[in-house]
Amino acid sequence: MNSPAKQPRTDATWPPEEGQIISFKSSTGSETTILKEVRWGLVWRDFILADGRVIPEHRISGCPQPPAKRKISQVTDKEREECEERLFSMAGSGLDPRKRDQAFWAELNQYLAYTYLRFKQTGGPMPGKTQNQATEQ
Amino acid sequence: MSQSNSDEEIEEQQGWKVLSDAGLVEIRLDEFAERIRDVKRIVVVRLRELLDFNNGNKERESAAYSLGTLKGLELKVLANAPKPLDPSEK
Repeated sequence: MNSPAKQPRTDATWPPEEGQIISFKSSTGSETTILKEVRWGLVWRDFILADGRVIPEHRISGCPQPPAKRKISQVTDKEREECEERLFSMAGSGLDPRKRDQAFWAELNQYLAYTYLRFKQTGGPMPGKTQNQATEQ
Repeated sequence: MSQSNSDEEIEEQQGWKVLSDAGLVEIRLDEFAERIRDVKRIVVVRLRELLDFNNGNKERESAAYSLGTLKGLELKVLANAPKPLDPSEK
């Protein structure tokens, strides 16, 4: 598994290993497929499926609660810069982040979450965002 | 469970709640441009604080850079947005 130097938490049976069959929630319901890779993003882990889709860990069946999450301080400048380069590259090549579970969608989601947490230290809450939207999709 | 593990989990839960409240755990497909603007707003607030107190040179530079990145991504996302239907073409 691609992992940062220090993981927030380890579990004996989680995450599943590459090649294992996993179930997850998709826009059409519950799906079962083969896990290709587990990769840390700037904030949370993404599960890369054999068909290339990228599913955030919290949508995988059996994921511990709360899901593992990195501290902002664990993300290096180099890692952030590489993420920004990938985002610009994907945007520049005409990819649309509005394609759910695709790489651009996943990476932009994490970059926005990371940047928000990074600078929100003294900023106020964002207007009109009070409900948990994670389960509404 | 040890105290430090428990503290870590509480911290993680709080982090998830912050992100969830901000609508940033899983961004709705039609809300990317709006969420980018929201995050830009947070960065601008922080940048203003840093400028007001005239400190945090490195963080100031970093915030300004992030703002530029977000602006660039916002423009790309808007440029690639699907065009609304033209009523005259119905």
